[in-house]
Formats: sequence, C-alpha cells, structure tokens
Amino acid sequence: MSAIIEIKDLTKEFKVLERREGLKGSLQDLFSRNYKTVRAVDNVSMTIEQGEIVGYLGPNGAGKSTTIKMMTGVLEPTSGTILTNGIVPYKNRSKNAQEIGVVFGQRTQLWWALPLVESFKILKDIYQINDKDYNDMLDLYRSLVDIDPLLHKTVRQMSLGQRTLSDILAAFLHNPKIVFLDEPTIGLDVAMKANIRKLIHALNKEKNTTVILTTHDMGDVDALCQRTVIIDKGKMLYDNDIEQLKKFFGSYRILKVRPTGELETQAESIKNELEGFSVRIMDDWISILVDEEKAGVMDVLGRLQRSYKIKDMQLEEISTEEVIKKIYEGGVN
Amino acid sequence: MNLKKYATLTKAGIIESLQFRLGTFVMIVGNLLYLIVVYYLWKAIYASAGTDVVNGMTFTDTLIYLVLATALFNFMEMYTVWYIGRDIQSGKIVLDLLKPMDYRSYIFWSYSGEFVTNFVYTFLPTFIIVAVVTKGAISFGSNLVFFVISVVIGISINYSIDFIVATICLYTESIWGINIMKQVIVLLLSGATVPLAFFPEPFKTITFYLPFQSIYNAPLSILLNAHQDLLSVARVIGTQLIWCIVLTVISKLFWKASLRQITVNGG
Repeated sequence: MSAIIEIKDLTKEFKVLERREGLKGSLQDLFSRNYKTVRAVDNVSMTIEQGEIVGYLGPNGAGKSTTIKMMTGVLEPTSGTILTNGIVPYKNRSKNAQEIGVVFGQRTQLWWALPLVESFKILKDIYQINDKDYNDMLDLYRSLVDIDPLLHKTVRQMSLGQRTLSDILAAFLHNPKIVFLDEPTIGLDVAMKANIRKLIHALNKEKNTTVILTTHDMGDVDALCQRTVIIDKGKMLYDNDIEQLKKFFGSYRILKVRPTGELETQAESIKNELEGFSVRIMDDWISILVDEEKAGVMDVLGRLQRSYKIKDMQLEEISTEEVIKKIYEGGVN
Repeated sequence: MNLKKYATLTKAGIIESLQFRLGTFVMIVGNLLYLIVVYYLWKAIYASAGTDVVNGMTFTDTLIYLVLATALFNFMEMYTVWYIGRDIQSGKIVLDLLKPMDYRSYIFWSYSGEFVTNFVYTFLPTFIIVAVVTKGAISFGSNLVFFVISVVIGISINYSIDFIVATICLYTESIWGINIMKQVIVLLLSGATVPLAFFPEPFKTITFYLPFQSIYNAPLSILLNAHQDLLSVARVIGTQLIWCIVLTVISKLFWKASLRQITVNGG
C-alpha cells in the first residue's frame, strides 16, 4: 500500500458578492460592490492509500465538492498542497485526468442523444484504451450488472438509476487509479442504491481502485467504506475507521410508531413499558431510539404489539446531521 | 499525436445531429425564408438606386454573394459561445475540463460534427443551385482549392473569436448580451450580411484591417474570382493566416489566464 492522495493544510477561499436587497440595493450593487471572503475548505489534511474506499461526509455546503474539485484539478487551492499520483492536479489537469474518473451526482458525462455503447466507444478513444482492456472491462461489467439492455438505449431515455449506473461504469472504464463519486445514490430507490453499492464495492475489489465517495446517506458509508472523513463548515471533524464511528451510531436506529388512541397518553405508557429507551413524540409519531446491541428492533416492535394496536410504523437510520451533532457534543474521538 | 480521438468526436457529433431530423428540416426552411427576404430587400435597394450597378456590383452579383454568404454562415457558425456559456452556468464544464484533452480542442472537435452535417445539408445544395442557376458565376478551377483552404482558416479564426468571447463569459456568468453583441459585430464586419463593397469609406478600409473579413469575405471573394492573379489570392490567404495565428495565441493565453480565476458553479 502506498499513498495515492496526499493533502496538507488545504485551504480554499472564495470571494462572494454580498448583494443588497430590493431594487434600490440592486442599483447600488451596480456601482459599488461588497465582497466577502468565504472559507469553503479550512486547513484540511489527509492521506489516502491506494485501494481505499473513503467516505467523505458532511452536510450541504460543508466543502465536500470544493475539496473534490481541488483533488481533480479543476480548482486551485488558496493555500496548502495536494498531490495525486505524485503530481499536482491543477498544474497537470489533462495528465491527472487520465488517472481519475468522476461522477457528479446529477450531471452526466455521457452523450445525451447517443446509445450508451457509443459513449463508451468515444471514451475508449479519448482515454486511448486498447481493445483488449476495453473488452475485458466490458466483460467484467457484464459479470457484475445486467448491462446489455442498457448498451443500446440512448442516455436521455434512461431512468435516473440507469443513468447513474451508466455514469459509474463510464468513470471506471479507463481503469483509473482514483474514482471520485459525488453523491452517486442521490434520489435513487432502495433497490437501485443496493445495486450501485454492490457495483462500487466489486469494482474496488477487482481493480484496487481508490474510491472517494461523498454522500449524505449513512447507508452508503455503512455498506462501502472502511474509513470516513467528516467535514463541516470547511473544517475536518473526524477522520478514522468506520468501526469507531459505528460503535456510537451504527447500532442505533429510530423506530417510529403510531398506535391507536390518544398520542400523549400512549406515549406515556410506552415510556413506562420500555424502560431505558428514549421515547419522544415527533410530528404525530412516537419515536423510540433503539440500541440494537441491547434489543433488536423487531423485539421492541413485538413487545409493543402485544399491548397496543399499531396503525403505522417507520424505521429510520441515524442521519449524518445527527452524527455531526454528536461529534460536536464530544461523543466521539 | 493521436488523431483517432478527434475523428471519434467528429463522428459522435455527426451521429448526434442526425438524431434530430425535425431540427434539420426547420433549419433548411428558415434558411429559405431568410433568402426570400434578402432577395426582395436588395431588389428594392437596386430599384431605388435607379442604376444597374451599385458600388461596382450588379443585382445578380450581390444576390449570389449574399446567398453564398448565408450558406457559408450556416455551415461555419458553431454557436460555441452558447454551448460553453450553458456549460458554465450549469456547471457541466467541470466534466469537460476533466477529460484528458486540452479543453479548447475538446470543445472544437466535439462540435465539429456539425460542420459535416451542415455542409451537406445547407452549403452543398445552395452551392449547386447557385452554380446551375447562374451558369458560370462560379468558375470551377484552382479557385475551388484556394476556397477550401480559405474556409478552413476562416473556421479557425471564427472559433478563436468565439472562444475568446466564451472566456469572457467565465467572468460575467451571463451569455446573452455578450453573444448578441459578438454576433452583430462579426456578421456585419465580416461581410456576411452586407457585401463589404457597400460600406462607405473610411469604414471599408477599416474592415480590411480587422480579422472579421477573413472569416466570410475572404473565402467568398476567392470563390467568386474577385482576384485577378495568384498574387492577390496569396495576399488574402496570407492575411487570413496571420489573423489565424494571432487569434489562436490570444485565445489560448486568455483561456489559460482565466481558468485560474474561475470558481465553478455548484460548488
């Protein structure tokens, strides 16, 4: 194992125009403008090894995409250094591009009006992939997902899930050393999410590709990453093993139920029945925080069903936001 | 250098534009309507002038020139500014910047397929019709070879100008006004809408010191045999070449300097 990405004291500042309100303000903006400096990424350092899958987490606007854009060479850092594959990305963008693949959530790099296989052929020539490597890769893809029905479909006719899947395949096509996946599972249904996670996992194993994954979905992290880096407001909060994080959060799930009868009294009686659980009322639901190491969600549900008539239920994973809140409160590290 | 990737991008562009049959049809019809307007407009101009020859050109000369200019414009115009501007606003430019190719040539070759289809759809039919209808206005000799050379250089000059304007869009993040201004300037000063012979002095002389006339006027004047000897043809193509080199260098340097400034949208 050797370091493939080395980041030291990385900082990126943007100048943002502060706009004034209303018509009068807009007119004033034409003549005098106030800029303020925003620090999108603040002193981030990390080293990533070849073959790792790193989950890069944080709420919206935390600076995840900005960091990725600097790693790919699209943006130049304000200060600090990045080395990917031993080269400085923004100085050698084309050279760096040969060794990386990217998927940016909602955008596609595929040719909109063409069947997928044509896009693959174009990429094959642009990245100068030889015939053997190209065919081997397609065979590998075939063994992992059912791509033949997709190959002759034009990209604009695909569903979001199919398109994301195709984009991921396109990003891996030239067998890059690093693949950046920026929120690849956003807006997908559960089955497609599972599909895509399986695919990413298999490609990482097969080709020893380093994967940098940004997401809001703790499920992605759980399924794929050995390591997570959490960033908020540009600052790094956490960089460690996923196991460490899971000790605190992985075993927690939120069970939400809606029994018949009056909500408050029922909640009160559930609280008495389930001793040691945190029971709260949240938007017409009674939410119970279940620590699965102590008691399974199904057991808890079973116990409740014996004494209550349950109309409706929901099961929720703990969210990134809650994890970050806990980190701020000092629960981890 | 690997030429295959450029050919692939051109091919993809051709396949892509073939997907849109209706668009092609509308373009041909629109083109036809424009030519009808041009015909009646200039007919009125010549009628009110009272003489057969205005500024050294007969009505037929003018019409042939403008019909071919329109065909050439439809074939050479790439709308690069629109495409790049749209990609800047949507943030898609990031994906194109991450191709292992120089962005300037990547974009050029990506849209080069349209040259081929537009050439077949608009320029070639117009050219044949003009040649047949006028019987002899276009001579088929060495001028055709020089014309092709001149068009290739013209395309390069046009692209460099477009690319410079698109780079300005990186700073303004708005496309419309800038692009309209560019289009008006280029169309007028290149001789695509009014033959340069109609410009009053000293305006006419000024246009010959600007790069724009090298885009449309230069190839057209060669095609229509406006030049008496090889030397003056060489002078026209030489001027084009100088502009081509100068503008390519400027557009590359400007892009390089600007790229460092950008903050890509959607970060």
